[in-house]
Amino acid sequence: MKRTYIYTTIFCTALALLSACAKNDNYEEPAETLTGRVIDNSTGQPIQTESAGIRLRLEEQSWNNGQGVIPQYFNVKPDGTFNNSRLFKGKYKVYPMDGAFVPLVTTTTPIIDNSKTVDISGVTSLEFNVDPFLKVEWVGEPVVNPDKTVTVQCKFTRGTTNTAYQFNVTDVFLYVSTTDFVSNASYDNRFSNQVKYNGTDGNALLGQTISITTKGTLGGSRTYYVRVGARTADNVNKRYNYNTPKPVNIPGA
Amino acid sequence: MKKFIYPLLILLCIVTACNKLGILPDNIVQDKDAFASTGGVTAYFAGLYNRLPIEDFKYNINTGYNQFNYIQNLNNLTGESMSREAGSASAAQTGYWGDAYVVIRNANYFLETMPAYAFNFNQSQVNQWMGEARFIRSFTYFELVKRYGGVPIVPGVQFYPQQGLEELQIPRSSEQQVYDYIGKDLDTAIMLMNNTSEQRGRANKFIAAALKSRAMLFAGSIAKYNTKNISDPATGAQVQGIPATEAVRYFKESYAAAKLVETGGYTLYRASANKEENYYNLFFDVSSANKEAIFMKEYSDLNAVHSFDLFAIPNQMKGKDGYSSYMNPTLDYVELFDGLPRNADGSLKTIDAATGQYAYYDNPYSFFQAAEPRLLATVLMPGATFKGQVIEIRRGIYKGDIAGGINPFPGSVSPFPNTTNPYANNPNIVPAVNSSNLPSPMVDLPNGQKMNAGGLSGTYGTTGGSVTISGFFQRKYLDQRKPVADVIVNKSFQPWIEMRYAEVLLNRAEADYELMTAGQNDVDYRQDAFTCINDIRDRAGATLLAGAADLTSINVIRNERRKELGFENKIWWDIKRWRTADAEIQNRVWLVLNPIYVAANGKYIFDKRRYEGNQQFTFQPMWYYEQIPNGEITKNPKLVQNQ
Repeated sequence: MKRTYIYTTIFCTALALLSACAKNDNYEEPAETLTGRVIDNSTGQPIQTESAGIRLRLEEQSWNNGQGVIPQYFNVKPDGTFNNSRLFKGKYKVYPMDGAFVPLVTTTTPIIDNSKTVDISGVTSLEFNVDPFLKVEWVGEPVVNPDKTVTVQCKFTRGTTNTAYQFNVTDVFLYVSTTDFVSNASYDNRFSNQVKYNGTDGNALLGQTISITTKGTLGGSRTYYVRVGARTADNVNKRYNYNTPKPVNIPGA
Repeated sequence: MKKFIYPLLILLCIVTACNKLGILPDNIVQDKDAFASTGGVTAYFAGLYNRLPIEDFKYNINTGYNQFNYIQNLNNLTGESMSREAGSASAAQTGYWGDAYVVIRNANYFLETMPAYAFNFNQSQVNQWMGEARFIRSFTYFELVKRYGGVPIVPGVQFYPQQGLEELQIPRSSEQQVYDYIGKDLDTAIMLMNNTSEQRGRANKFIAAALKSRAMLFAGSIAKYNTKNISDPATGAQVQGIPATEAVRYFKESYAAAKLVETGGYTLYRASANKEENYYNLFFDVSSANKEAIFMKEYSDLNAVHSFDLFAIPNQMKGKDGYSSYMNPTLDYVELFDGLPRNADGSLKTIDAATGQYAYYDNPYSFFQAAEPRLLATVLMPGATFKGQVIEIRRGIYKGDIAGGINPFPGSVSPFPNTTNPYANNPNIVPAVNSSNLPSPMVDLPNGQKMNAGGLSGTYGTTGGSVTISGFFQRKYLDQRKPVADVIVNKSFQPWIEMRYAEVLLNRAEADYELMTAGQNDVDYRQDAFTCINDIRDRAGATLLAGAADLTSINVIRNERRKELGFENKIWWDIKRWRTADAEIQNRVWLVLNPIYVAANGKYIFDKRRYEGNQQFTFQPMWYYEQIPNGEITKNPKLVQNQ
C-alpha cells in the first residue's frame, strides 16, 4: 500500500517535471538583413576606416513610438560597408556615428537629423553619404629603401566645407602591419611612425605632398601592408581618416 | 450553565484578539522609534554612511563598490600603476545606478520625516542632521553625474503603487541641472551644519564645502573641455555636456568653497620633521592631530575590513594566503617626481649621455637616494627597506666583460621602441626566468658567491609570477607595522581618506588657473595658485616653484595633482574630466625600470624600457560618458542612453 503511494508520487512528479518544460520559445528568430555602404563624399567610394571605427546606430520605431528603446549598434567594416543578417523585422531609425566625418545627427543646436528611417524586412539596402574631416590620398607608390625601411608619399585635404568641422590637423600616422586590417586598431608599433603637429602647424600642410618613412627595418622576404591615417582635433571620437591599404613586398636577405 | 462558560470565554478571546491585527509588526523599526532619540537617528545615519559610494580599497572597476577584489582598480587604467592582471584599457563601467537611488531615497525620506519629530531634539542638532542628509544626497548625485552626465533628479520620496508609473518615471535632467542641484544642496548643507562632526567619519560644514569644491571643479572642467553635446530629444535637456559659458561660474564656486574649507582649521599634515615619514604617516593617523584628513572612512578588525595589504605586499613578504605584488607603479609615474638622477638634457640617467652606455650605481637604492621624499613615501623602490627587509628586485645579471662599458640593450634608448625578449639573445646576460613555476638560474659571481638572477620580489615574468612587473611597488597605504601573519585575506583596516586638504588646495589651484586663463582678475589668481602649489610641494619635500611666473601651464597644476593624489582612485576621474585621457592613453605601453646586477664590479645598472609584455592601452573617447544600465531604461523608458 505504502509503496503504491510512493510510486504514484514519483510518477506524478516526473510527469509534472517533464510536461512543464515542453514550451519552446516560438518567437520568430531575427532573420532580416540590413546591408549597405557609408559613402565618402570626397571620393565617391565607401569610407575607409578601421575595425570598430564607425558604429551604425539603430533605434527601433515600431515599438512604443521609439520611446525608451535601447539603441542597438553594430560596427561598419573597415572598408565602409556594413551587413547584419540577424535583425528583427521592424521600422528603424538608422545612422552611422563615431567616425571621422561630420556627424549626421546632432541633438544640440544646430540640430541636424540626416538619419534614415526604414522598414527592415527581407534584405534592406541603405546608403549614407558623409563628409570626412580629411581626405587622405596616396601620391605615387610606397618605396622600399635599401635599408628595408619603406617611404610613402601622401596628401591630405579638407573633406568638408563646413568650417565648424574644420579642426586643426593633429597628426599623421604611417601604419605598418602584416595584415590588410592595418589601421590604428591594428599595427606593429615597432615600424609604424606617427608625426604630430602642434597647434595649427598641421593645417599648413593641407594639400601638400608629405613623405613619411617607417621607423625600423622591416623583416625580410614577406608582404607588409601600409596605410596612412590623418586626424583632426575633433575631440569627440578622435578617429583617423585613411587612404586604402597597400601591400609592400620586402625582398629577402 | 458551566457548559456555556467555556465557549463564551473562547469566543471572547477570538473577538478581542481580532482587534489587534491592525498593528505594525514590531520587528521593523518604525519612524516614531527611529526619530525619537539620538540613538535612533545615529542608527539611521549609520545605514546611510554605510551605503555612501566611496571608491575605497574595495572599489573594483567592473563590479563597483564593496568588493573584495581590489586587483582591478582604477589606478591601473591611468598609468599610475600596472598589474599582471590588468592587460588592457577598460571603460571601468560598473553600472552604479539602482543602489544610488536607494541612498537618495533614504536621504530624502529622512529630510521629509525629520521635521515632524524635531520637537524631540534641539534645533541645532536637527539642523546638523538635515545638513548631513543633504551632504549624503549630494555625494551620491555627484557619483552619478560624473559617470553619466545628466541623471533624473527625484523630487522627493516616491511611493509605489500609490503613485502611477507615469509619475514615477522621471526623465534625465541636464548635466548642468544636476551640478546646480548639487551646488545648491551643498550650500544649504553648509548653512545648516556645525563646524564639527557629530562623530568621527561623519560630515560637517567644511566637509560639505570640500565636496562642493570638488564637484564644482568637475562641472567647470566639463563646461570647458567637453565637446560632445547630446540632448534628450523628448525634453530638450542637454544630458551630455554643459555650455562653455558656465565654466567661469563653476570655477568661482569651486574656489569659494575651497576658501571656506581653509577657515575650518584644516592644514597639511606636518607632524614629523622627516618629510618621507611624515607623508607616509599621513594615511595612517586617525587622531585629531591629523588636520589634513577631511573625510575618512575607517575600518575595524571586527566590523569592516579590506584586503589592501594582501594585494599590494611585495612578494618576499607575502603571507600564507598568497596574492601579493598587484600594485606596481609605472616608471611613467615615478618619473614625474623630482630628485631622480638625470642627464644634462633631462633624460633619466639610466644611460649616461656622455658615454652612451649604462651608468653604474653602487646599489639599487642609490638611484633613488636623492629622490623627492613624497615619491619615496608613495612608491617602494628597488633596494628600499620596508618592514626591516631590503626589497630585492632584479631583472638579471650581467656577466660579460665591462672594460668597454655596457652598451644599451635593444629598446632602452628614447623613444624606447617596443621590444619583446630584449635580453634573450645576449650572451653576456643571464636574465631571470619568465615563469612562475621555474626557478631563475643561480649565477656564479667572481667573488665565489652565488646569486639568483631574479630578485625575491621581481622583476621577472610577464604573467603568472607573483612579482612586480614594473620594478616598483606601491607604498602609500601599505601598512609597514603589519606582521606577516596578518597579511592575509580580510585583515587590513587602515582608513581610506576620501577627502583631504591637499586635494582642496589642488582644487583651488586648478580653479585659480582656469579663472586666470579665462581673464578673471577679481582676485590675484596666479598668486593664489602659486601659494597652494608651494604649500603642497614644501610638505612633499619637492622642489619649490621659484615664483608665480613658474606656473607656465595648467599642466604644472595637473601634474602636481597626479603626484599628490596618486593611488587614491582620483586620477581616473581627473583625466576623464580634463578630456585628456584619449590623447594620453593611446596605444600606450607603460615604461618600466629593470635593475640588473653587474657581476664584474658588483654594481647595478638600470634598464628603462617599455614593458616587455607589450600590453597596449587605448582609452576610447566614447568612455567619457558611461552607458546607463539597459535594465534601468527598460524600467524607465524616459531615460535616453548615452552615446
